[in-house]
Amino acid sequence: MPRRNSRFFNLQDSVFKYLLIGVSAFVVLLFITLFYMLIDRSFPSISINGLSTLTGTVWNSAAGIFGAVPAIAGTLFSAVIATLFAIPISLGVAIYFTEYAPSRIKSVLSLFIDLLAAIPSVIYGIWGLWVISPLIKIYVQQPIVGAIGFIPIFAGPAYGLSIFLASMILTIMVIPIISSLSIELLGGTPPSLREGLISLGATKWETVRHVGIPFARLGIFSAIILGLGRALGETMAVTMVIGNSYLWPFETSSLFAPATTITSKIASELYEATSTLHIASLIELALILLVITLLINTVARLIINRTIKRGYY
Amino acid sequence: MSNSTKLDIQNLNAWFCEKHALKNVNVKIPDKEVVAVIGPSGCGKSTFVRCINRMHELIPGAKASGKALLDGVDVYGGMDVMDVRRKIGMVFQKPNPFPNMSVADNVVAGLKLVGTHSKKELAEIAEERLKSVGLWEEIKDELKKSGASLSGGQQQRLCIARALAMNPEVILMDEPTSALDPASTAKLEELVKKLKNEISVVIITHNVSQAARISDMTAFFYLGELVEFDETRNIFEHPKNPLTERYITGRFG
Repeated sequence: MPRRNSRFFNLQDSVFKYLLIGVSAFVVLLFITLFYMLIDRSFPSISINGLSTLTGTVWNSAAGIFGAVPAIAGTLFSAVIATLFAIPISLGVAIYFTEYAPSRIKSVLSLFIDLLAAIPSVIYGIWGLWVISPLIKIYVQQPIVGAIGFIPIFAGPAYGLSIFLASMILTIMVIPIISSLSIELLGGTPPSLREGLISLGATKWETVRHVGIPFARLGIFSAIILGLGRALGETMAVTMVIGNSYLWPFETSSLFAPATTITSKIASELYEATSTLHIASLIELALILLVITLLINTVARLIINRTIKRGYY
Repeated sequence: MSNSTKLDIQNLNAWFCEKHALKNVNVKIPDKEVVAVIGPSGCGKSTFVRCINRMHELIPGAKASGKALLDGVDVYGGMDVMDVRRKIGMVFQKPNPFPNMSVADNVVAGLKLVGTHSKKELAEIAEERLKSVGLWEEIKDELKKSGASLSGGQQQRLCIARALAMNPEVILMDEPTSALDPASTAKLEELVKKLKNEISVVIITHNVSQAARISDMTAFFYLGELVEFDETRNIFEHPKNPLTERYITGRFG
């Protein structure tokens, strides 16, 4: 065995350690700087408008009125709806993949899931704008408006571009995230537990239902939160398909009406904004979005910790 | 001691992809007796047992041919596969209680799937089965706890209770004591002897003296073939095949 210079290796080890501490600290520092920048730049809006940003429903940059509620509502609504639609589809894909799919189909399926995740969001935007929007207008929105248009949330006119369309596009963007993580998680079900239930006469579905999903549920919950985060923060595709109108949800509550989200509001106005207050208000929107995502992640973490503490996992 | 035949296995062959793991096995498993399955590692003991309740075919690339007649009905063809597994229970090498279910729910996990029992009936069955595996007195105050919170020996008896709750006609055990301490092993052996009053037991063991202690019949496997099958007393006192003699006297394996 070659002689090792222990002093050299000790030095090497401690240099390495400080290097790691350094890069970790960098991550924390980045976040703090970013957060500070948002607060600092939105300060004019916070000090002048105060809480009225969080309660106001009108956004009129000429009059200096900046109410964020429709944007917040649009963000939360479209992201939550998209996630809710994506959950059953993604779990369906994951269960088919882990329990039923032959290995040849598995490799094709996982390739397509990865491809779906890799598509840049601007392409989803173009596709939504040109392909899905007219289709949804003719085959979904118009029939529904015709049949039950008297219910306010299904009221016409049927624009293609709408909060509904944005939610659908977001659903498609969230599916690969939740499904690929769920495939990993369900695939990790301990074989001994699976066999235990199968030996009692369980079908494949019962095995997934009573062993696979319970075993993976915390991970699946995390995957769902990750998907929700993706939907909340998505900008490009949403800006292209949501129609950017501030009338939803107060002037009209129809799902088929154009609306706005925090991200699409910022993306469509920031470069045109000239007044300090207008810019600051847009940056405050960004701050609100960051706080929303942080809150959701914190609550998710609390739920996970509490479930772990109860002891089953 | 020759009871009627419970399981009549005829020309059973099994493969893992190209590997011929079990070669033309013919055995008659008697009713209400303990059959020990012995042999060196990789000789096909587990494959043999897992073919009986059709768990073998769950492994990708695995297949089996032949007949296994349970009271004259072939488990390959004559019965629904889920039904086969309900009638032929299984206990695994490593205790595998469901950690997401309470002790009581673990016992009735299979019955809950069937869904024909009321909550009250399920609770009664759980109690009855925990009593029959000698676990009731030890854990009757912990029924709500997770099945994974018990000790290894208790977990294994819980798994036996879980298999028994289905009212199986045969119970298969794949080295059930190999992960247990000596005291738990002794308890489990007592339980096996008691079980044969009600059902047939097929138990794989690595431990030759365990086979001698608890079984009525012994099957010796070697390289995928059934070398010898006879009353345990004959196998241990007058083995017909020199391979059997060498194995039980510990000269290989």
